[in-house]
Amino acid sequence: MITIALRMLSGDRTKYLGVLFGITFTSFLVTFAASYFGGMMTRSFALIAEYPRNDVWVMDPAVRGVESTMNIPDSALSRVRGVAGVQSAVPLALATATVRFPDGRFQPVQVIGVDDATLTGVPPVADGLTAAVLRTPNAVVIDPGGTSGKLETPRLPADQWPYGRVPVNAPTRPLVRGDELSINDHLVRVAGQSKALPRFPPRPLLFTTFSTAERILPPERDRTTFVVATARPNVKPAELAKRIEQETGLRARSAKDFRADTVHWMMVTSEDVGDAVTMLSIAILVGFGVTAVMMYLFTNENMKYYAVLSAMGATGRQLFSMITAQAALCGLLGTGLGLGVCTLAGLAFLHYGFPFRLMWFAPLLGGAAVVLICVVSAAISIRPVLKMHPATFLAGR
Amino acid sequence: MMKISAQIANPPGQPLLRCHGVTKTYGQGNAAVQALRGVDMEVNAGELLMLAGPSGCGKTTLISVLAGLLPRDEGDCSVFGQDYKQMSPGETTQFRGINIGFVFQAFDLIPALTAVENAAVPLIIHGMKLREATTHARKVLQEMDFDDRMMDSLPAGLSGGQQQRVAIARAMIHTPQLIVCDEPTSALDSESGRKVMELMRRFALGENRALVVVTHDERILEFADRIARMEDGRIIQIEKPPEVNYVP
Repeated sequence: MITIALRMLSGDRTKYLGVLFGITFTSFLVTFAASYFGGMMTRSFALIAEYPRNDVWVMDPAVRGVESTMNIPDSALSRVRGVAGVQSAVPLALATATVRFPDGRFQPVQVIGVDDATLTGVPPVADGLTAAVLRTPNAVVIDPGGTSGKLETPRLPADQWPYGRVPVNAPTRPLVRGDELSINDHLVRVAGQSKALPRFPPRPLLFTTFSTAERILPPERDRTTFVVATARPNVKPAELAKRIEQETGLRARSAKDFRADTVHWMMVTSEDVGDAVTMLSIAILVGFGVTAVMMYLFTNENMKYYAVLSAMGATGRQLFSMITAQAALCGLLGTGLGLGVCTLAGLAFLHYGFPFRLMWFAPLLGGAAVVLICVVSAAISIRPVLKMHPATFLAGR
Repeated sequence: MMKISAQIANPPGQPLLRCHGVTKTYGQGNAAVQALRGVDMEVNAGELLMLAGPSGCGKTTLISVLAGLLPRDEGDCSVFGQDYKQMSPGETTQFRGINIGFVFQAFDLIPALTAVENAAVPLIIHGMKLREATTHARKVLQEMDFDDRMMDSLPAGLSGGQQQRVAIARAMIHTPQLIVCDEPTSALDSESGRKVMELMRRFALGENRALVVVTHDERILEFADRIARMEDGRIIQIEKPPEVNYVP
């Protein structure tokens, strides 16, 4: 009976393709939206991810994610270093500042001040340079941080820092090593361009040393945002985090936990999560509409044949299994096709720098949406088949 | 041909089918239409009974009741000594599938299945594997002068007469004891209609099997053993064929 059902399905190509399209579309959209969301969330903890040997992050007790921070006393660094089990600890300063370009234009950037001694946390620098370029006075390493065209300077030297005019419409070029920028009336020099992980939300990044950050940023009582500690061998980060919390009164989280905290904070507070849920809902609704209608039409048009099968002794259970098999086949094929299309689209999106990460839960979500749609569509289609009276369809009644 | 297990044995010496005072009304109140108004009839084993009469006289309703497709309102009706009213819907379906074959007016072959697969459908419904069922169907269709190309054709590639032959093969492949045919020749030309009736007499009739054929095609009445004339929901006359041209 299953074979008959599948032959009936594939025999009506238009409706078969319609059902398949609906399910493929849903599977694709749900998986894609989930993957895009996964990509955004991954980018939200990029700062943690690109820190080497970052066993424990120490922060203000109220901080719940890397995107929403409050500085802690600079003395925290010494206190953390004094905790048993800490091998090393470095300060990290985060701040948002407005950079003015030589033509007068401005751009908010995230300033990341890393430990002067170790320069830990500076991503790889382009053109064969190293983080050591930051050791020159007022040096900064710039990074687009997932943006494009936001770090530019006038192409002509005449348009740079002109006296008495603001040539905002002057032709520009990307910033290169040696260009100058102004932050809070402090001139800094671009010492290199890094290849940091793209951020979410995207924003240009400006890496510098902790001491330079202290100098160029507006004065604050506390400048340290995080203390990043490394555990001694045989000390588990989670254990060390507990110990630091007990001894310093600050919040300390292992890097793994801090990533999870950041994602949770994003999901709770970010409007983008709402957008993703809306997108998923629309995808499911559209897929459901197309699939359910097509499936119902298909079943309805074949009602005469189901009546014939029923007259010839096919039980309700057999008819049920036939329609279920049809829905299952479409579901399986649609899920596979949707996943394939999603992967191809994802590769294209990644190529253009969009956040896309096909994580384990994305295909599961896509599959769950398809199962839901198939079950509901099949239920809608099955009902009239089980309710019909075969005699109604005989002799042109 | 395959004999399906659990077929009901007709009580010896009894008609295969017996109805008395059967009524059936569609709708309710002012919209009620009384399709059967007390039908009495018997069909014996080895007999081809034709139900003839004008459109709307209740022929199709009667065979639907006889085949267990429609519940009757009143009266008695036994098929192989069994009464549908004593069966659950599931039992009725199973009984019908095992003991009754159908030939429909519009053939009603499943368009996506080949001729041989269509003929095999009743066996598949009863749980036989597709390959085994089509092997049996192939033999039956071979007896009906189908070649391999025709057997593997979809219904759309067959003529009306060929499609009806497939429908007949489908109705008898599981050797039911009663075959009901609803206007089997109405969609066929005169020549094809005669061939179909000849086939039905040759293959579908048997010592322990009866055929009930609904028709208003006067040209095929000669193939009947008896003709029951219906009018306004009643059998008004049972007669022998007017002129027997058909010689088995």
